[in-house]
Amino acid sequence: MFTKRKSIIGLYTDENSVADAMDGLKSKGFGENEYEVLTGVPYPEGTFGEAEPHLHLHKFPLIGAVFGFCLGLVFTIGTQIAFPVVTGGKPILAIPAMAIIMYELTLLGAILFTVGGIIFESRLPKLFMGAYDPRITEGFIGVVVNTTEDNLDNAQDVFKSSGAEDIKFP
Amino acid sequence: MDRNVSDVVAIDRNVSDVAFKNVNNTLVEASNQTNLKWPLIIFAILSLLGFVGFSIKVFVEGVGSQQWGYHAALVAFLLSSIQSAPMVAIAPRVAKAHWRRSTSRIAEIFGLLGIVNLLLFIPLMWILPSLADGRRSLWFYDALEGVSPYSPHIWAILAIVVLAFLGVFYLWLSLLPDFAILRDHSKVGTVRKKIFKFLSGRWWGSSSNWYMHKHRLGIVGAHYFMLLVFVHFLYSMDFCMSLVPGWIDALFPITHAANALQAGVAVFIVTMYIIYRFGGYREYIGLDQFWALSRLLFALSLLWFWFWFSSFIILWYGGKPSERFVLELLMAGPYIYVFIPVFILNFAGPLLIMMWNAVRKSILGPTIVSIGVLIGTMLDRVRLYVGAYSVSTEPDKYALHSVPNTIWPQFSSDVLLWIGSISAVILLYLMVAKLIPLVNIAEQKELLLYKLHKEFHRTKVMVLGKPE
Repeated sequence: MFTKRKSIIGLYTDENSVADAMDGLKSKGFGENEYEVLTGVPYPEGTFGEAEPHLHLHKFPLIGAVFGFCLGLVFTIGTQIAFPVVTGGKPILAIPAMAIIMYELTLLGAILFTVGGIIFESRLPKLFMGAYDPRITEGFIGVVVNTTEDNLDNAQDVFKSSGAEDIKFP
Repeated sequence: MDRNVSDVVAIDRNVSDVAFKNVNNTLVEASNQTNLKWPLIIFAILSLLGFVGFSIKVFVEGVGSQQWGYHAALVAFLLSSIQSAPMVAIAPRVAKAHWRRSTSRIAEIFGLLGIVNLLLFIPLMWILPSLADGRRSLWFYDALEGVSPYSPHIWAILAIVVLAFLGVFYLWLSLLPDFAILRDHSKVGTVRKKIFKFLSGRWWGSSSNWYMHKHRLGIVGAHYFMLLVFVHFLYSMDFCMSLVPGWIDALFPITHAANALQAGVAVFIVTMYIIYRFGGYREYIGLDQFWALSRLLFALSLLWFWFWFSSFIILWYGGKPSERFVLELLMAGPYIYVFIPVFILNFAGPLLIMMWNAVRKSILGPTIVSIGVLIGTMLDRVRLYVGAYSVSTEPDKYALHSVPNTIWPQFSSDVLLWIGSISAVILLYLMVAKLIPLVNIAEQKELLLYKLHKEFHRTKVMVLGKPE
């Protein structure tokens, strides 16, 4: 049984008031996934005390590179042991010759995992975006709360006490 | 309840409500106010000439590969100029240079124009002979089993399609916040509103929107760069060097890519000047941008000589007959009158002009040098590709034994095709400029958060906060 979610947005012009609203919502027991800050400008992460998004994008190239390197190692060693041909009097497993293939597969692994990482981290877009106001792209800062109907009054109280310029229901 | 919001943000915020609106209004209206009616009509007519030229080429002159050198040179020129220009947005963004905020969009739009070059590339798929003709290539068709004789065609089209797609994707990604602004600024119920609503996707300006936006731009930009170099590698090897018997030069692909970066910066500077002079963006584009790029152009012009000389010295010292013929074909023989201007416009001229600080630190100086670099790059591609296609049907695939005469362009086909294609590129740019602001609105507003002019003893200095 799904609980129907409702949305409310508070509009601000001052960053400190937004930060106060975030604190207020937290103290009223709203979960981090229930409210969000909307801005028309990329503020530095954490400006309003909002939770920083936890992304693992940087890990994908590293994992891919390790995977590619191992694959390169197995591939070069495996093929040369399976079909040993002495070339130029050098050892069967000559590092300089193996390094080229290993480098290429390391890079390939990093690239492929990165592409996969972007797709994974993007995931599916949120179906319920909640309230919005076009004034956000003009410089207003919106704090949107998506919650159950019972909690909307609490959110409205927080917006009022933190000095919201306007409060809207969609 | 106290929250540690940055001081700079707090100080600047007092003016930024009005400033944000001003930036929105100025930049949204700048694209609407510029009257482009006549330029659009003129370039549309000129673009049609390209179709005429192409039709004459196909139906009158035929598809013999010797006649298509100018077409291949056109694709190489556009690949080297317009498709390299997005690097001027990508590299400084990755390096977190603040001067590029007002000019990134100008470079990103070139990513969209790669579609024109993709269309021009398609006929070359039929013109380039298969590897079954016995020519030497990096695919080792004769030496290895299971190699498709159409390997150059398959890999090149794949790479060029993906490059064009990435160019469009990068522009769209960068435009998302601005599409949202345009969406919110359009009247309810209008087609314009619907278009921008569609293009802005699900952008609402949430923290996670911004966070992913920054990372996506970095990652897609890095892939664009890697693919750009790869496309240059494939195109220069398969559509130029392998067609010339006896021409073996490991440096040529990277030379091709490095020259493209030079031409990419040049086409960007020229475009930036036109927008600065006639586009209504003087408030946002200034000496800072020209000065920063002029240093880059100067360095790339010096690199032009380094790459050229490194290749030249090997062939010249090698001195085998086949190598002498290659040098004669590309430099000293039928295309010497093309090579000399190339040397002057791409290296000697920029060196002698840009070595002076006063020229580098100006708006007109780098623009004039850039126009020269663009002409030089165009001639360079003509010398290389027309020369290569003129010997592509030689029976001996291992060495040249003579050098054919100069292949001159046919006005009714080659010249019209060049004029039409370059006009199509300009036309598309103008159409985009009518639709979207040429300065990134969101990034300009971000700058307002961090920029502050402050008294410093008896002068004023700009204080710039860096979020990272």
